[in-house]
Amino acid sequence: MRFLPLVLKNVFRKKTRSILTIGSILLPLFVICIMGTLLATLDSDPSGGKGMFRLTVRHSISITNWLPEAYLPKLRQMPGVKEVTIMNWFGGKYVDSSAKNFFARFAIDPESFLRVFDEATVVEGSAADWMGDRSGLLVGKVLMTKYGWRLGQQITLMGDIYPGNYTFTIRAVFKGADESGVYFDRRVHEEALPRVKGYVGMYWIKTDSVAAVERLPKQIDAMFENSPFPTKTETEKEFQNSWVSMLGNVKLLITSIATIIVLVILLIAANTMAMSARERVTEIAVLRTLGFGKPTILGLVLGESVLLSLFGGLLGLGLFVLSFPGFRAWMLNSPMGAFATGMRIFPGILALGFFITVLVGLLSGLVPAIRSAGRSIPDGLRQVG
Amino acid sequence: MENAIQPLIQVQSVVKQYTRDTQVLTVLDGLSLSIDAGDFVALMGPSGSGKTTLLNLIAGIDRPTSGRVLVGPDEVSAMSEGALAKWRSRNIGFIFQLYNLVPVLTAYENVELPLLLTNLSKAARRKQVELALSVVNLTDRTDHYPRQLSGGQEQRVAIARAIATDPKLLVADEPTGDLDARSGEEILILLERLNDEFKKTILIVTHDPKAAACAHRLVHLDKGVLKEDVRGAGKTVGIAAAATVSAGK
Ligand SMILES: Nc1ncnc2c1ncn2[C@@H]1O[C@H](COP(=O)(O)OP(=O)(O)O)[C@@H](O)[C@H]1O
Ligand SMILES: [Mg+2]
Repeated sequence: MRFLPLVLKNVFRKKTRSILTIGSILLPLFVICIMGTLLATLDSDPSGGKGMFRLTVRHSISITNWLPEAYLPKLRQMPGVKEVTIMNWFGGKYVDSSAKNFFARFAIDPESFLRVFDEATVVEGSAADWMGDRSGLLVGKVLMTKYGWRLGQQITLMGDIYPGNYTFTIRAVFKGADESGVYFDRRVHEEALPRVKGYVGMYWIKTDSVAAVERLPKQIDAMFENSPFPTKTETEKEFQNSWVSMLGNVKLLITSIATIIVLVILLIAANTMAMSARERVTEIAVLRTLGFGKPTILGLVLGESVLLSLFGGLLGLGLFVLSFPGFRAWMLNSPMGAFATGMRIFPGILALGFFITVLVGLLSGLVPAIRSAGRSIPDGLRQVG
Repeated sequence: MENAIQPLIQVQSVVKQYTRDTQVLTVLDGLSLSIDAGDFVALMGPSGSGKTTLLNLIAGIDRPTSGRVLVGPDEVSAMSEGALAKWRSRNIGFIFQLYNLVPVLTAYENVELPLLLTNLSKAARRKQVELALSVVNLTDRTDHYPRQLSGGQEQRVAIARAIATDPKLLVADEPTGDLDARSGEEILILLERLNDEFKKTILIVTHDPKAAACAHRLVHLDKGVLKEDVRGAGKTVGIAAAATVSAGK
């Protein structure tokens, strides 16, 4: 501890170089935090654990193939099933087809919807208002904020997969589940377009236990295996991840980039430390002449590299924490809004950032420290100029 | 001379060799020397004769190839590296030709450096540092950085650093070698005072006749062996010996 002032002064011996090195640790660490948060969000469960009890059933070939509505009573009868609801992807567009106006639009069964997605709570209007008005719209809070919509406002969705324009009235706003979507009564869709009547894009099942979640997918898929409409049943988690993996192996990509970034900052920090130690060969020999032992010298050089790295790393983490609310808001308003609802500052990511910082500090200082402590004192003293 | 004085330093048949590839370079060739406590010895000789090497062996920062080096009761040549570091911090004050102050530390902090290795409290360290700086007459430069000091002042800070832990032995490798005449003289006066008043044993490597003149004993080294050893008190002997040295060149 009594050596701390010396170590601190050594860190800032060459101010410009130290500041550049700190910057080259700060910015990558900021990026790593963002990437880590995206990864952690992919792995996290935005429903706060409730999604554990949910399953989705879709056509085994693809999400664009329909299942018959006749499966509904069969699914409801199965032991372990608490509730089943229907969700059809409507597609369509709002105002125009630009990415900034993209959000999820579903034709659903209002009665059962809120029982399956029971983490959703209505915060404006009421569930009864929404269910009582066939052209009522249930809207996620995030989307309300993004567009500045008000309760009672009329919203027109223009069909693209299905022809025709549909005008809805906002009757209820919810928080908790996927807040970046709108939901309306599927009967509206069926009345306007009789050919979709009786067809279902996805069933969502709320089960009563973890055991049921494990057992039901096989049972359900076995039940419909030899029918004209075979099914694929997945947990909510698997279903979400299958969407993400459609974007390519995002996780692997992000992880690889983050790893490369860590290696690059390690090289930069190691270079700084090597230069710094090389300039001080004589000085270190002098300290050892005064009686500083090898462990102390090792500690001084490692302390310096860890401190340098910590300056950069903690500033990077700080920048991340400060900018997170803005980043999240920006993500929520982007086409990835649904994904961003689960985004938060994960303590694990901050811990990882801190760990990387300390690791970079230790590794970058290790070789110079061992060299400095290992050189013979007379050789070090001779190396003048 | 009385035999009652116990020698502080005993160098016994010391050989120091460097092996480069297959060539063996013998820097010190069976050298023996003893130095009394309280003495002021100047080590002289042509460049490359092994003066620095001998100084390093005595100060415990290097080891002989064979032979023994004793300082007081301690066999320096037999100690482990860790023990030697500790021993140096208590027993040796080192003064370099190029001062070798730590540039990012103030005069005060430079003098405090060796004290950081002791168990002394901050307040006790402060007392020691202030005392050392007052001995070298630099109490008004406490917060100056080395680049804000003249060469002579830097060397005085270095001397304060060397005496901060109150070691019995001061070794100096050409301490006036990089200074102008006036500053050099100041340093020599200071060393004399440390020898006289504070009873430090001083071993100094020098080419400077004035420095040699301050010493009570001159040891002349050539090609790793003792050539001349002139003892005597006062400056006359020193000057005479210095004249011999210059004449010998
Ligand atoms: N590490 C080393 N390896 C090889 N030779 C060395 C080493 N250190 C010193 N020497 C040689 O030892 C000799 C004596 O050096 P030194 O003690 O510094 O002499 P002086 O101080 O009298 O000028 C020189 O010839 C020098 O080149
Ligand atoms: Mg020399």
